[in-house]
Amino acid sequence: MTTLSELTSVLRSKNAGALLCTLDLMFEDQITYEKVRDSGVLTPSLIADLYGLSDNEVSIIPYDVAYAIKITIPRLYKSGDPDDSDIYGAQQHAPLLDIDIPV
Amino acid sequence: MAELRMMATTGMVGYGYTEEAFNRGLEQGLDFIAADGGSMDPGPHYLGQGIPFVSRQAIKRDLSLMLEAAIKQQIPMLVGSCGGGGSDPQLNFVRDVVKEIAEDKDLHFNMALIRAEQSAAYLKQKCAAGKIESLGPISEMTPNMIDESHRVVGMMGVEPFQKAINDGAQVVLAGRATDASIYSAIPLMRGFDPGLCWHLSKIIECAGQVTTPRTGQDCVIGTLHDDYFLVEPGHPDKRCTRMRIAAHTLYENPSPYHLEEPEGTLVTTHSNYEQLDERIVKVSGSRFEDANRYTVKLEGVKSSGYRTVFIAGVRDPILISVIDEFIQACHERVAVEAGNLSISRDQYRLNIRVYGKNATMGPREPVKYTQAHEIGLLVDVLANDPETSKAIMAKARYALLHTDFPGRKCISGNLAIPFSPSDMPVGQTYEFSIWHRMEIKNPLEPFPIEMVEV
Repeated sequence: MTTLSELTSVLRSKNAGALLCTLDLMFEDQITYEKVRDSGVLTPSLIADLYGLSDNEVSIIPYDVAYAIKITIPRLYKSGDPDDSDIYGAQQHAPLLDIDIPV
Repeated sequence: MAELRMMATTGMVGYGYTEEAFNRGLEQGLDFIAADGGSMDPGPHYLGQGIPFVSRQAIKRDLSLMLEAAIKQQIPMLVGSCGGGGSDPQLNFVRDVVKEIAEDKDLHFNMALIRAEQSAAYLKQKCAAGKIESLGPISEMTPNMIDESHRVVGMMGVEPFQKAINDGAQVVLAGRATDASIYSAIPLMRGFDPGLCWHLSKIIECAGQVTTPRTGQDCVIGTLHDDYFLVEPGHPDKRCTRMRIAAHTLYENPSPYHLEEPEGTLVTTHSNYEQLDERIVKVSGSRFEDANRYTVKLEGVKSSGYRTVFIAGVRDPILISVIDEFIQACHERVAVEAGNLSISRDQYRLNIRVYGKNATMGPREPVKYTQAHEIGLLVDVLANDPETSKAIMAKARYALLHTDFPGRKCISGNLAIPFSPSDMPVGQTYEFSIWHRMEIKNPLEPFPIEMVEV
């Protein structure tokens, strides 16, 4: 088992507009990317569990040409709402780092 | 074979670029220069207040070099989303800076100002006609949401830019606009392939962000041909790599394959990325699918009240072990104290974030028990007027400092307060109230153009 922290070269989060948060996983090479993409571990249900969402709120899109996987979820609050504490949505990725991938 | 060359000087007017890259771009011979002047990333405040989130000096510096070069070389200069949010006061701010530069340097030109602020009356008419829909997880539009909004902008497409150029403007300062429209307007007028135009525009609107090494913002040059385009950095020491260019459609978008614009969708599913030499990337195969309607994104903000902020540290391990219960007790104590001032609980919002525990992710934080030996409290109060905001904060500070908790030994004070004064009023604040899209027939209708001779 290897964690996404070890497997990714970039693992970032950012707003996609004021209502959505998008998480990008990028890999150094095609082999690592394909192992993670095809591992069956990254499912809407896993992401939904991690972030307290329902499965149908999670979008996962593999992007072969850049060895990247994009995950998009609703923000907890709109950017800049009274209860929001991450206006840019740049620090919402940490729970993904510990995901174990059997490679 | 047709060719059109454009330069994006910076991803955000005021973030800067190097003169070396800029001059090198100019030497290549450009059809126009442009820059994006805005973003909603910094949140709702700047649109609400109608002010930029970069300094006036930085805006003046970035526009100064561009303006001088554009006038000298007789090429158009386009700036979109002026002043950050692209509202009227923000556009006026940038207009005044440009006029000042023109006066300093004795430059003369025709300038178009394109406004993007939307009136409540116009929005209500569109709402009543069922032409406004939500853009993601937000309530459907109601007349009440329009009434309570303080300021609303529409995001223009290429058409207002094109009209301004056709009417003889050499400099176009636009209010809120889609980032890619700034760069696609001229090439589309000249008949270049829409898929390539929009894709190139999407890539270069963030300028230096698509180059390696990523040492701050800088100019990027895009060259359109009939069936491909090239992207290269302005700076000789920087490179564009195939991976970086391909990865750029991931950035801030929910999908890297489908990117929506007012008149349709850029589809990159069959885009081909090729490293031409060490610094240049060639892209082909991008397509643009026309939508069967024209939609304009709306961004609006409403007041969320006056904020006061207070910061303090907690080092006592006994308090850290019961911090959630302690904060709950403080909330209750503040409510009682507020009542004594005839302030009811619905007249203020008290928010206590615990840094070192779950302040960043809130209820989404998977780590439930903090291991930190110290934590930071960030306390903020929102109320409809500054005096109530300050009064509640003073009560909250006292409650946090002196409220008892089980096992308490630190009876002279629960907090390390770093500043005097400790309570910081930050003034009027806003939140997004409108994040919708509006269907229109005429792409020029919500965006009046004013021609100015400078």
